[in-house]
Amino acid sequence: MKRIKIYFLIIAYLILILIPLFTDSSYFMHIMIITYYIMFVSISWNILGGFIGQFSLGHAAFIGIGAYVATILLVNYGITPWLGLPLGGIISGCFAVIIFAPCFVLKGPYFTLATIALAATLRNLFINWDFVSRSIGIVLPFTDNPWIYMDFTSKKPYYFIILGLVSLLVWFVIVLDKSKLGFALKTVREDEDTAAAININPLKYKLITTFISAGLAAIAGGFYAQYIRYIDPDMMLINYSIESVLPAIIGGIGTVGGPILGALLLHPLSEFLRSSLSSYNSGVNLVVYAVVLILIIRFKPEGIIGWLNVKFENLIRKFVKK
Amino acid sequence: MDILPQVLINGIFIGSFYSLIAMGLNIIFGVMKVVNFCQGELLMIGMYASYFLVTVLGMNPYLTPVIVIILMFIMGGLIQFGLITPILSKGGSDYSQIFLTVGLGLLFQNIALLSFSSNYRTIQIEYSTSFNLFGQIISLPKFISFIVLLIVSYLLYFFLSKTDLGKKIRATSQNPLGARLVGINDKQIYIITYGIGAALAGTAGALLLPFYFVFPLIGEVFQLRAFVVVVLGGLGSIKGAFFGGIILGLLETVGAIIVGPSLKDSIVFISFIFILIFREVFQSRQE
Repeated sequence: MKRIKIYFLIIAYLILILIPLFTDSSYFMHIMIITYYIMFVSISWNILGGFIGQFSLGHAAFIGIGAYVATILLVNYGITPWLGLPLGGIISGCFAVIIFAPCFVLKGPYFTLATIALAATLRNLFINWDFVSRSIGIVLPFTDNPWIYMDFTSKKPYYFIILGLVSLLVWFVIVLDKSKLGFALKTVREDEDTAAAININPLKYKLITTFISAGLAAIAGGFYAQYIRYIDPDMMLINYSIESVLPAIIGGIGTVGGPILGALLLHPLSEFLRSSLSSYNSGVNLVVYAVVLILIIRFKPEGIIGWLNVKFENLIRKFVKK
Repeated sequence: MDILPQVLINGIFIGSFYSLIAMGLNIIFGVMKVVNFCQGELLMIGMYASYFLVTVLGMNPYLTPVIVIILMFIMGGLIQFGLITPILSKGGSDYSQIFLTVGLGLLFQNIALLSFSSNYRTIQIEYSTSFNLFGQIISLPKFISFIVLLIVSYLLYFFLSKTDLGKKIRATSQNPLGARLVGINDKQIYIITYGIGAALAGTAGALLLPFYFVFPLIGEVFQLRAFVVVVLGGLGSIKGAFFGGIILGLLETVGAIIVGPSLKDSIVFISFIFILIFREVFQSRQE
């Protein structure tokens, strides 16, 4: 039974890899790239929010830092984004550890409030900082060496880059989920006092998780900057933080599959609605997100995946019986 | 330093708005222990409601709060009845509280964006003049709003401390179990409380309209500041929220003079984080 499930997932994954060979629609490619991007951000949020239970609503700040580091290294110093992305991740991770360390004395909603305030502060500082060209933002130039400077004119290379990144991340999270570290994180989430009693220092694990989560979000931000080729401080608005949280919650918080499922279901759906209700240009997708979010929290707090796991197994059981 | 009195006056005016929004947050937190992340969006709804009452029905902008209070009270009550109470009765973890109210905020914001577009709108009022008080120039709309705000704040204080219903609300906030034991219907109190919280945000919105512009994302401007005020003034304290709001308004306007207006957000938010952390550390030391 488990084997059928694995075969199903492998086939689904192969389809995702082969999609660019069958379609030339750049609109479709764009939707898929953004879906993977949101998936990536959401999985990285889920490591902090889901696994160790610290609900940050400031992840847009880390996405922004990643985008700015990679972009400034490229524009000012000519350093390739292939190096800029991981560097952005490390810088953002360290930054996050430093600013979150004092915030971890706060619990529950207060921690969330502090993260919102931190992201808002950072955005405000960037708006007033000449080095990052204030609120005008930075346009990324095109060069002649797309493979070195990650500035492809076609969408297909971006598709494979982000699909590769997401695949690596999913593999990492699967390993993390069953590792000693993963269990330590979940122990801290469930009960900090118990964790401390069995020699798991909650603060230490929170900081490790912060580094991983913020670093990964920054890598996603760096990719986003290379893809969209324009960045400005509005990337750090709270709405983008919320957007990165939603797939994880709707799919199933604290699970490996939750954010993947949430992003795959929601982003294409909202894009479809946006294009079919073209008279309403903005806001439709977020209305959909918000309604689904409210319904999920109200009726199914463990997310779609909790419901799906049962259904999927029933389906296979019926299939096997026949 | 001749601008100082003027700065202080402006600080008190804008601070009184923060007070009113924060009182709404505070009463909701005090009774249900819910941190309401959509308070700013409730203000936005109040502003739009007032805007359409003025432009479509031609009402006087200072009469709209009466209708806005009723509308927002009903709306808040429905939100509490349909969404928040069920979640609280399931156990009401931090997780569901935070993301339910965040989701509501997102919903309101984007419905407004869909229906009214992201344009900034203002109303024209006849008496947008200013007058001279002890040599200081004071804008009349701001002054009227300030007076109405003071009256509303006093009425809320009176309601909570003197009336039966207010006493029931305070009892529920101090000891939910005890309140239930003496026969207070806590579900009903919750609905009324959230209704009042929403009505306060709506009132602030309606009073803000005569001299501010309304747009779908306006909630964010006030939301975080309302949290700052609540933390400054102490959670669950109405008086604290009132003075906290004034202090924040002053901090912001004086800070804007010292470091320049574009960095005032940073000052407010950084001081907020510091206060949050110090409060927490101080409290745990005391225990």
